[in-house]
Amino acid sequence: MPSSEVASRVRKTLSALKQADLRDPRLGEVLSLASQMSEAMQAFFGSLDTTLHDELRYISNYIKQTRTEISNLRPNDLSGDQIPSAGAELHAVVKHTADATNVIMAAAEEVMGADPSDAQAYHEMVSLKMMEIFEACTFQDITGQRIRKVVDTLEHIEGRLERFAAVMGVEDAAAVETEADRRKRENILHGPALNGPETAQETIDAMFGDGADQLSQDDLDALFA
Amino acid sequence: MAVDLNAPVLVVDDYQTMIRIIRNLLKQLGFNNVDEAADGAAALDKMRMKKYGLVISDWNMEPMTGYELLREVRADEVLKPTPFIMVTAESKTENVIAAKKAGVNNYIVKPFNVQTLKSKMVSVLGDF
Repeated sequence: MPSSEVASRVRKTLSALKQADLRDPRLGEVLSLASQMSEAMQAFFGSLDTTLHDELRYISNYIKQTRTEISNLRPNDLSGDQIPSAGAELHAVVKHTADATNVIMAAAEEVMGADPSDAQAYHEMVSLKMMEIFEACTFQDITGQRIRKVVDTLEHIEGRLERFAAVMGVEDAAAVETEADRRKRENILHGPALNGPETAQETIDAMFGDGADQLSQDDLDALFA
Repeated sequence: MAVDLNAPVLVVDDYQTMIRIIRNLLKQLGFNNVDEAADGAAALDKMRMKKYGLVISDWNMEPMTGYELLREVRADEVLKPTPFIMVTAESKTENVIAAKKAGVNNYIVKPFNVQTLKSKMVSVLGDF
């Protein structure tokens, strides 16, 4: 029953009681107070109705907007397609790289272990193994393309999350250290630096000028001198 | 004292390719008696079964890292004297200082070549 109807019924009851010819002054005071309270409550419940309605409408709109923004994130597309695809590409890169490395190392080991006493046979064998090494090196082009696809996916996800965070006014919660984080911290695990294994540390430091926190082999030698 | 090229060397790395590379480099340097382990715990088991003339270990491995292996080795009265070289991509200053404090004999950053490996082995074992 709406609060306004309750108040109306209370007021009618009080009015009926007043019209009864009651002589007890205390009862009259009580009825008077009850009447005043009823009027006050009616105003209160009326404002409460409006406030609640506005609040509920605001919450409803907020939920609708949140659902729209989450929908724009396309989380099912991310979790069901894009992220698994990126993972599969990275697994393929690891496998391709390992396969190529094994082919190259096997060829090198065969050359190193070959008998050079027959110059003609040795030359043919070395040429054949060198060709195998060249062929194996074609992995670099394919892995480059695969990694480009993964980078594109990450950039796509980054863009969607940035927009979502901006629209929803999301602020980062305080970071909580997981068991894996703790292990990394205690074991001082940073992984390879971004200077990559293909170029000497000194060359990368000179190119980017941000290697102050990394040590070259010469720096390490100085520590052990 | 001359370096014993037949002394067993333990190579610890979770990447079989890296073990293969180091094994080949050691072969080039004249060390043919090479064992391998995939992480610190496996290495520790092998070290308790056999006396090694040198340990060459990666840092980042699971479940036991090379850093943990180093500390375990240096805390063990029997294993303590074993020469230990860290070969790792962890090249931050704090890593090197931590390894030095834990008692590592030398430290090589990846990627490296046979000359670097030889020079560090010479500094630890003596000329060969």
